[in-house]
Amino acid sequence: MEKKKFKMKRTNASQAPVPVRRKGLMRRWFSGIPLLGWFSGILVAVLLEHFLGDALTEVLGLPKIPVLFGFVTMLKKPALMPGSLVFIVLVYLIPVAVTARLGASAANAVAARLIRRSVGLSAGIHLLLLYACLHIWADVSAYRVLTLKLTLIAVMLTLSLNVINGYMGEFSCSHPGFMAVGAYVCSVFTVGLFVNDRIFGQALLPPFLAPYFFPVALILGGSAAAAAALFVAIPSFRTRGDYLAIISLAFMFIVKSVIENLEIIGGPRGLGSQPDLAGLPAVFVWTVLCVWIINNFVRSTLGKALNAVRDDELAAEAMTVNTRRTKMTAFLFAAFWAGVAGGLFAHVLRYVNPGTFGIQRLAEVLAMVYFGGLNSVYGSILGAVGLNLLGEALRPLELFKWILIPLLLILVMIFRPKGLIAFKEFDPKRVLMPRFRSE
Amino acid sequence: MRKGMIFVVVCMAMGLISTPSAWSKTKPIKIGINAPITGDIPKVGEGTKFAAQMWLEDVMADGGLTIGGKKYPVELVIEDNEAKAESAVKVATKMITEDEILVMVGPQASKQAVPAGEVANNYKTPMISPWSTNPDTTKERPYVFRACFLDPFQGPVIANFIKEEFNFKKAAVLYDVASDYPKGLAEFFKKAWEDLNGPGSVVAFESFTTKDTDFSSQLTKIKQSGAEFIFTPQYYNEVALIVQQAHELGFKAPIVGSDSWGSAETVKLCGKDCYGLFFSTHYAAAGAKGETKKFIDRYKEKHGYVPDDVAALTWDAMRLVETALVNCGKITGKIEKDRQCLRDALAKVKDFNGITGKMTFTEEGDPIKCAVVVRISEKGEFEFYKSVCP
Amino acid sequence: MVFFFQNMINALQWGSFYALIALGYSMVYSILMLFNFAHGDIFMVGAYIGFGVSTGILALTAGGAIALPNWLILVLTILFSMVLTSFVGMLVERIGYRPLRDAPRASAAITGLMIGIILETGNLALLGARRVSFPSLIQTATYNFGGVYVTNKKIMIVVVSLVLMLALDQFIRRTKWGMAIRAMAFDYLAVPLMGVSINTIARMTFAIGSALAAVAGILFGTAYPVLDPYMGVLFGWKAFVAAILGGRGSIMGACLAGFLLGFIEIFVAMIFPSTLRDLIAYSIIMLILTFRPHGFFGEPYSARLRL
Repeated sequence: MEKKKFKMKRTNASQAPVPVRRKGLMRRWFSGIPLLGWFSGILVAVLLEHFLGDALTEVLGLPKIPVLFGFVTMLKKPALMPGSLVFIVLVYLIPVAVTARLGASAANAVAARLIRRSVGLSAGIHLLLLYACLHIWADVSAYRVLTLKLTLIAVMLTLSLNVINGYMGEFSCSHPGFMAVGAYVCSVFTVGLFVNDRIFGQALLPPFLAPYFFPVALILGGSAAAAAALFVAIPSFRTRGDYLAIISLAFMFIVKSVIENLEIIGGPRGLGSQPDLAGLPAVFVWTVLCVWIINNFVRSTLGKALNAVRDDELAAEAMTVNTRRTKMTAFLFAAFWAGVAGGLFAHVLRYVNPGTFGIQRLAEVLAMVYFGGLNSVYGSILGAVGLNLLGEALRPLELFKWILIPLLLILVMIFRPKGLIAFKEFDPKRVLMPRFRSE
Repeated sequence: MRKGMIFVVVCMAMGLISTPSAWSKTKPIKIGINAPITGDIPKVGEGTKFAAQMWLEDVMADGGLTIGGKKYPVELVIEDNEAKAESAVKVATKMITEDEILVMVGPQASKQAVPAGEVANNYKTPMISPWSTNPDTTKERPYVFRACFLDPFQGPVIANFIKEEFNFKKAAVLYDVASDYPKGLAEFFKKAWEDLNGPGSVVAFESFTTKDTDFSSQLTKIKQSGAEFIFTPQYYNEVALIVQQAHELGFKAPIVGSDSWGSAETVKLCGKDCYGLFFSTHYAAAGAKGETKKFIDRYKEKHGYVPDDVAALTWDAMRLVETALVNCGKITGKIEKDRQCLRDALAKVKDFNGITGKMTFTEEGDPIKCAVVVRISEKGEFEFYKSVCP
Repeated sequence: MVFFFQNMINALQWGSFYALIALGYSMVYSILMLFNFAHGDIFMVGAYIGFGVSTGILALTAGGAIALPNWLILVLTILFSMVLTSFVGMLVERIGYRPLRDAPRASAAITGLMIGIILETGNLALLGARRVSFPSLIQTATYNFGGVYVTNKKIMIVVVSLVLMLALDQFIRRTKWGMAIRAMAFDYLAVPLMGVSINTIARMTFAIGSALAAVAGILFGTAYPVLDPYMGVLFGWKAFVAAILGGRGSIMGACLAGFLLGFIEIFVAMIFPSTLRDLIAYSIIMLILTFRPHGFFGEPYSARLRL
């Protein structure tokens, strides 16, 4: 009985339009602003911070611009709390709100015209705007750049794991393994070709060619991960659920053990001195590609076949879904992106080590997937960004961070068992549309 | 909206009130501590933190560091790197760019020190890793130093010692294959031993994986091989298990260790089984004299246990920083200039008298220092046995 | 031959731990269809509770308040720790699993993981980063059977775990409660309609599993007397492998698979270079599952049971 009621509630919330209810003041005030409006608001805010931030911090007595929305500063030095709060309000909240509200009608007009022209153009302009925001925001400090890059990589990882765990409904534990394969193959390629290294000897190609070959390296890393995924995908034809979970877990242990035994790539000492190729633009472009392609994949017929396999394999088979091909595609596809993410990860840190791809990372990725929400692109983005930023923001708490974050996750699981935004389709067209006030 | 406005106004007012206090004082010297407080090796993080804080107490008791006749307050920026590589990099970046530290001490384990060293070197910020033994940490990085000796030195020290002391021919090695330090040392030892006794003299070269607790299979194999002793460069928690299990399997020959045994916990966890065994290390706690003894006693009084090698090395790293700062002569307040000055001063440090031995840095930023061979006495204390210098 | 028997004995001891912990996993798993990822950490908590209880009793004995022989202290420690740890287990069930009974199973797995992290960190915050040494309650005596060395501890560990497994087996098969558990494992939707409360059974399962984990923890402390807050993590995952390898919901299977895992790990290290141990051991497990996709005693996949 309980179960049924619960299901009803869920479907209602996810499919029916927002129910008619009296909206709060804030809600009414900010309805009818399109994505374009928000982005331009954020752009104004980050520009403000970029040009006036230093002056403002001086006035407020802050040592520096609060790096992660003031969390770190506030937790470390409570005395600076009021100053940081004022900074946040003045630089972020007010400009974003004001620009978004005042520019709403203009933004709506532009958004409408763009979307009529072509969805691609509109998406491109939105992405450019988003990149501009991120770039200017991150430009303030190298710490922001690094956090941003690692967060974007986490988005890729989470999303690719969601394909298996959410869309296909298996419990796969092999993602750190795929990531490791990608990271190592990609690193070996770039280090071998472009770096004078103790292991691989002289560089074969001049370093200025490196950026052009980086995509090749990443694709190679991803493909290697996909090939490795065959070890998990083939048993998945006959094995399901828990048994597949331990096959994938065994796979993770095996990958780690293989790398530890391969002396030529550094063994447990790890592999370092990757060329510095993964700048913010590169990571951003790959993340966008990943989100776009995975989103198209899960919305395609094949993607729907995944859901069918998850909900009832026998019925799916009966309805002419080729379950083997579906499972195979899902595993290879997810592993590919995990491998690409691994390659980027290796080039951001410029050092990899087999110990990095163990149980700890597995727990992290799983937490991000289930926290954000199964079966949803929004959820994965939210989960990865949320947990990463939270992890950074709570760092000053040291030990207690690792009590607070798990507690939060438990609460999320209890109150929203499928994650924060689960089972929601990401339709670019709807997102980019102009919004009109609902009253 | 009204409430919101009031809130904003109040916040602004408070912000303005709290402002002036930040201006008046001399800017403190900031030293970053990048330590694994949570994660796999919390004990290492704890030792690092405690040693650094003890040093700070000393300095602040004097009212700050005296550099060029002026007193500067010192501030520690302690951050947790969770024993993860990417966290160590984040922490290093944050400390250097956000907190504007002058110098970073840590990370300890090579897994974190290698990538963090890259960051420090890129930002031209001096870094001292007290504990990392991986050559890559300091390799081609003028700004990165370390406080411990390297595996290529320690391996032969132990091999020579055993040859001279016992005149054994057949060695067995048991090490953690997944961990950087034991693996490196095990390999250097093997090489040194085979140079001394000819190829094939290491009759068993067995390994396990981090976090294993049962070594019976490997030890049975070692016993079978007819080795005359076991060399095991493991950490104290594994040492206790290895030694006890070897004895339970009827293996009576000596077991020899490396500097990672140099923790009070070794004897505490291992008990009588470890009495009479030898290991090489940075310093001997029982026979310690002068500064070393003072440090050990103070640490013990404060935290209830004899400090590990990590704590001692961190202490030395802090003192190295102090020496270099004083040698530097003056603090300009321009962070780049001060960092450069500090780095040059560090590279020039000669015969620094640390509690873990005299140190002089090589070109690469690795110290040249002596090793000590220690025997665990019948009372469970670390007795000085022999000193070996390069 | 001596070499072989020596490793046989080693493997028996090592397998006992996997088997005991896998049992706890398997109990919860057969009834609630949950991965109890906190189980490895309950094992850790059990070991620490055992440490606390035995140090407490030892302190009392040393103070002269009571005089007890060491074997009695061990028995008391085991009993007390079983009770205390089973409360921890029930608490975990109440907080982390009961609210999620209707949720997707993987969500409950995540709460399990998170509870595990909280237990580890809580331990770290309470006791500090120091590793503790489990008091040695039994004087080690080594017996030499023609070159095969056996200690009294090893014998005790194997015997105690075998006895516990048999007792559990009898409990499940012979008693009314055991019948309720079996029935629940068979169909957890219909059985509550027959008047058996799923909450009671779930609580009981967790209690039994945790009590077994506590025994495993204490035995572990006797054999490998170094405890640290993260000792349960790897153990938990490996016992998870054993529990599932045994087959869904099969107590016998979990025991056998636990011992098998112990044997694989020990014998692979014996035959092959030990650097390749994990690689070969897990490849064997993958192979087993490829050819027996439902474990040793598991029923084939049916539409009723899934994520």
